[in-house]
Amino acid sequence: MTRTKYQETLGILRRNVTQMGKLSQDAIHNSIAALKELNIDLAENVIEGDQIIDDYELSIEKCVAQLISLQSPTAGDMRLVTSCLKIAIDLERMSDLAVDIAQSTKKIEGNHIKPLIDIPKMAEMAESMLEQAMIAFENNDVSLAESVAKLDDEIDRTFYAVWKELMKMMIQDETIINNASHLLFVIRYLERIGDHACNICESVVYNASGKRENLN
Amino acid sequence: MPENYDNGTEVEVRDLNLWYGENHALHDISIDIPKNSVTALIGPSGCGKSTFLRCLNRMNDLVKNCRIEGKVHIDKQNIYSKDVDVVDLRKRVGMVFQKPNPFPMSIHDNIAYGPRIHGTGKKNIRGVVEEALRSGALWDEVSERLDKSALDLSGGQQQRLCIARTLAVRPEVILFDEPCSALDPISTSKIEELILELKKKYTIVIVTHNMQQAARISDYTGFFLTGELVEFDKTEQIFESPREKATEDYITGRFG
Repeated sequence: MTRTKYQETLGILRRNVTQMGKLSQDAIHNSIAALKELNIDLAENVIEGDQIIDDYELSIEKCVAQLISLQSPTAGDMRLVTSCLKIAIDLERMSDLAVDIAQSTKKIEGNHIKPLIDIPKMAEMAESMLEQAMIAFENNDVSLAESVAKLDDEIDRTFYAVWKELMKMMIQDETIINNASHLLFVIRYLERIGDHACNICESVVYNASGKRENLN
Repeated sequence: MPENYDNGTEVEVRDLNLWYGENHALHDISIDIPKNSVTALIGPSGCGKSTFLRCLNRMNDLVKNCRIEGKVHIDKQNIYSKDVDVVDLRKRVGMVFQKPNPFPMSIHDNIAYGPRIHGTGKKNIRGVVEEALRSGALWDEVSERLDKSALDLSGGQQQRLCIARTLAVRPEVILFDEPCSALDPISTSKIEELILELKKKYTIVIVTHNMQQAARISDYTGFFLTGELVEFDKTEQIFESPREKATEDYITGRFG
């Protein structure tokens, strides 16, 4: 084995991206838990915790810039480096969306308009997509990445179903418009999280195989 | 091997084998080198890339106990055919070496040497020298001192002089054997710029240990290992997604 320091840095980069993925997944999980229980403290934790995720993104970006400028990675190394940067950007956006969900939670007045069933289900799907996409990243598993991306269709279907339901409820009862419109935003955020998970799957496929696939 | 080059094939090699005495140095090399493009040959020391390069203008004929089998066609002509004039072949297939090797004579005479041998008259020689020095990106630096010794030029200028000397006899193919390994970064980038310019008129084959150089200037890259051509493809393919693990390991610095 040659270029020991270089290999070490590539390993650190990979581990940091994996670690950042776990933090983003936690943020999504907690933001929905906070929404479900209208737990403002938990929502605040998600908002505050976003700084750590932003720091991860910055350190990954710095590491990538240094690897490119100092080590000139090529072939599989180059694909890993560029994929890590792209995945970090997606994870950072997903965490911002978790923050948006937490902010919406703070704006809900009183109780929910109805017990939340489909939204937590949608969140579970988005969270699972992220988790599986990151497993695919860790194992360079192209077929897992491709199958994970397909789950986004189910998130999209749920999004439209819940959106229609909320619109219907608002038409029937104007007093719920504030809370219902915040839930509309939340399902939109979750739908976007699913899209970012698809982007990660695309990066995984590129990293592992060199193929550029459109999985979105 | 990539197919359907835009400008056609200049050099066609099939099942080339070479022995230095008992040492089987090249194994069944088959490659199509495209016209008007830069082809880089990379690989660890002793892998056969320079040996292969020297097959393209029969420089290995000069090596004792060297035996060659297989086919090397340049512009559809078998260069190992008995009726090939080797001096004429080396005019068609020029070569630039690792260390600049100007003749111990004036800048002008360095360039004029080849054309004079090949019959260019006194009247035309000045024009040929200027054209070659311009094409070699050296004219502006030496036009006022053509009668000065070429040995007084800097290393980078000497190397461009050697390129200009090759151009003066109007070759079809130019072989570069690590042309920048003895040069500083500025001189290196001048040579690289020059090579990119030259490919418009000539077919270039370059052996280099500098992977980034191969990536920067070549259109196609061949990776040699222990006398075999492991992989030959478009340069972006080799450096982004090589098909062979050995290529990947070499260009990412895991061995070599």
